[in-house]
Amino acid sequence: MFDISLFVLMLLGALLALAVYLPLRAGQLSLATPGFYTIGGTVAALLSTRVPELGGNEQTYPLTSVFLELMLAIPLVALLAFLIGKPVLKLKGIYLAIATIALVEILRVVLLSSPWFGAAVGIFAIPQPFEGPEGYAAAFAVLLGITAWGCQRLETEPLGREMAAIRNDELAARCMGVNSERVKLIAFVLSAIIAAAAGVLAAHFFNSWSARQASFDASITTLAFVVLGGSRTWLGPVFGGLVLTALPELLRPIGDLRLIVFGLVILLGPIFIPQGLIQQKRS
Amino acid sequence: MIGSTSLELNGLSVRFGGLQALDQLSFSLQQGEIFGLIGPNGAGKTTLFNVITGLTAATSGEVRWQGKTTAGLRPDQLCDLGIARTFQNIRVFSDLSCIDNLQIAMGCNDRRAALELLGIVELQEKGTHLAGSLAYGEQRRLELVRALATKPQLLLLDEPAAGMNPVEKQKLQVLLNTIRKQFQLTILIIEHHVPLMMKLCDRLAVLNFGRCIAIGSPQEVQEDPLVIEAYLGRGA
Amino acid sequence: MEVWLQLLVNGISIGAVYSLFALGYTLVFSVLGVINFAHGAVFTCGAYFTYIFLGGVVGSNGLLATQKLPVTFPLAIALVLAGFTAAMVGLLVETVAFKPLRRRGAEPLLYLITSLGAGVIIVNLIQLLMGAEAYALPSNILGSMPAVLAIGHGLQIRTVQLLLLIVGGVTMLILNIWLNQSLSGKALQAVAEDTTTARLLGINSGAMIQLAFAIASFLAGLSGGLVALSVNIGGPYFGISYGLKGLGVLVLGGLGSVPGAMLGGLIIGITEAFVPAKLSAYKDAVAFAFLFLVLIIRPQGLFGKPPIEKV
Repeated sequence: MFDISLFVLMLLGALLALAVYLPLRAGQLSLATPGFYTIGGTVAALLSTRVPELGGNEQTYPLTSVFLELMLAIPLVALLAFLIGKPVLKLKGIYLAIATIALVEILRVVLLSSPWFGAAVGIFAIPQPFEGPEGYAAAFAVLLGITAWGCQRLETEPLGREMAAIRNDELAARCMGVNSERVKLIAFVLSAIIAAAAGVLAAHFFNSWSARQASFDASITTLAFVVLGGSRTWLGPVFGGLVLTALPELLRPIGDLRLIVFGLVILLGPIFIPQGLIQQKRS
Repeated sequence: MIGSTSLELNGLSVRFGGLQALDQLSFSLQQGEIFGLIGPNGAGKTTLFNVITGLTAATSGEVRWQGKTTAGLRPDQLCDLGIARTFQNIRVFSDLSCIDNLQIAMGCNDRRAALELLGIVELQEKGTHLAGSLAYGEQRRLELVRALATKPQLLLLDEPAAGMNPVEKQKLQVLLNTIRKQFQLTILIIEHHVPLMMKLCDRLAVLNFGRCIAIGSPQEVQEDPLVIEAYLGRGA
Repeated sequence: MEVWLQLLVNGISIGAVYSLFALGYTLVFSVLGVINFAHGAVFTCGAYFTYIFLGGVVGSNGLLATQKLPVTFPLAIALVLAGFTAAMVGLLVETVAFKPLRRRGAEPLLYLITSLGAGVIIVNLIQLLMGAEAYALPSNILGSMPAVLAIGHGLQIRTVQLLLLIVGGVTMLILNIWLNQSLSGKALQAVAEDTTTARLLGINSGAMIQLAFAIASFLAGLSGGLVALSVNIGGPYFGISYGLKGLGVLVLGGLGSVPGAMLGGLIIGITEAFVPAKLSAYKDAVAFAFLFLVLIIRPQGLFGKPPIEKV
């Protein structure tokens, strides 16, 4: 008995994990992913509920309108990520992490307080482009497939190598001719795009959307997917995302203890499996 | 080849808060020479490297490379202009293979060229090995050819002989002379091992407390009373 | 004029709590170089412990429903006990989530994750045992003291706020004295400055780290209790926003700086108090806006060391 809705959530988890993985691959601990995810979803939610022309005539919301939402959300977050990334990526290590946490919190508070974005209740009754979870599963799978393919390509491109170099030793990389500012910015913008695209689809899937998506918990949990899954290759975050999203759901039978078990996994994982479950093969 | 393409320091000073790390350094390198920097620890030698490679900004004065000032240029830009370096504490990319270390420096995918460069320092067998798994001396050699892989005209070496035994030091000396000719390099080298520097360098500058207290041929510098005082104390 | 001063008083008293809380972050950061993301959970523990020690009854949703302690402690004792109990929780977190990583010299990222895991476990344990509902401290804790005191010039201060100020101020004073005058305090500073040298000088850095955790968690527990006094406990997750704001204080003051944490807390508390009522929904964003600006303009904050890399 396979729960397709759970599968959709797992795919979403894998996507968000990849979004966190990209900057990490360039040595940047950015916790901004939930922020861009929320923005993507907000664009979709606003457009689909406030612009009736996009509604179309069918029962279901037209796929073309979903594409339109993507075409709007992606450049928007790309621009935002570019503008934010320029100053923020100059920060190192924990400072960068905290700066991104702060940004996401500011976004969350602003959105939650503003009636235009639905205030605390959020935006609801978001139209559905698919009748059942199968459609969403397909859509998310396609998005995940594209993203994974991109990440795989990255492994062999010079850009991917430069990211790894920066992660190892940014200073040395710069002295060897790597424009680390540019590379880090690219990783950051790409990660924002992935998160926003996921957000667009998620807003429709969840039927309602509020800034509660942008929570600190969410960003650390996604980070945990990457760390536990393995952060050296893209398979790690995908695996981590899939498995760890499923875990609390699978643990539902034990009721209230499940989050504690989840916490135990996050607590003990780095201690016993520091490299993550999927490790890069060593020559 | 007569060089106008050389490194010039004009009144270069660097101050960190209360500490004067470099004080009015002014000298030039001749194209193709091996120029040595010696001096006690903390004399400012690595700081000079950091300024030349764009990691640290000068407080006053300037560095000129190929006739133009380097002020405001990023390290990667300076690398593109032909300046490369190694580091006092080894900074190879440990999680990447030796070949990848070189490919990053080369800026393109060229395994053949990478292996050739590795061959110069007898590391071609370890091409696919992770840089972090190499022995200390091997990592030093890797760092050297990685710098070479950026196709520099000026090579800055920060204590390349550290941790080497006499045999290795000898090989290094031969190697440096070879690559100087082969790659048409100007080499600026920091080292503590004075006999090596005497044999290797065309000229030397002695730094103390950020100031250049002597500059000239190894012979001249060796006999300079200020140098003797700095190294051995007064009345030696 | 009075309004202005009133807001200032409000700001200082909440600021004192922020400072206490952030001091915990600072202490751990200064000896370990990492941020303890379970700190907010320990703060939450302190709030709940205070409630229990004051004789509160557990609500009907938790496993411990309708239980209460057979003894009831007066406020001062309850706060101190809550602090000590929180300290024990903090030590447990250190042993389980930090020590194993320390032994291996793991990268800072991993501490982030394990401490988060610890925090998740703690908060959910609280939820399991105490239920998810809100708790208010017994209303008679102040005994015969009035709820509000007039302190001249038409100013009023809630007795609770005064308590916050006094407890907060005295605690910080004691901490400062202990850090600078006592042997163990100075040893702690030595470890914070340079662990290797400290060890070479015979200081047991492991013990110092545990001490730092214990003190930090005591402070978190105490500030949790104080906040529970002044507003009620919203639920097991109410500590999260304090946890994040504490980060803001930490960065503003400078990572690892004790006077920075103290001053930073006051600054953020006061600024929050002066947010006009119309924009009160955005109050929470104040700390984060500070945080972000500081990081962009001056990452080392007020008193921290600039993050420089040695070549």
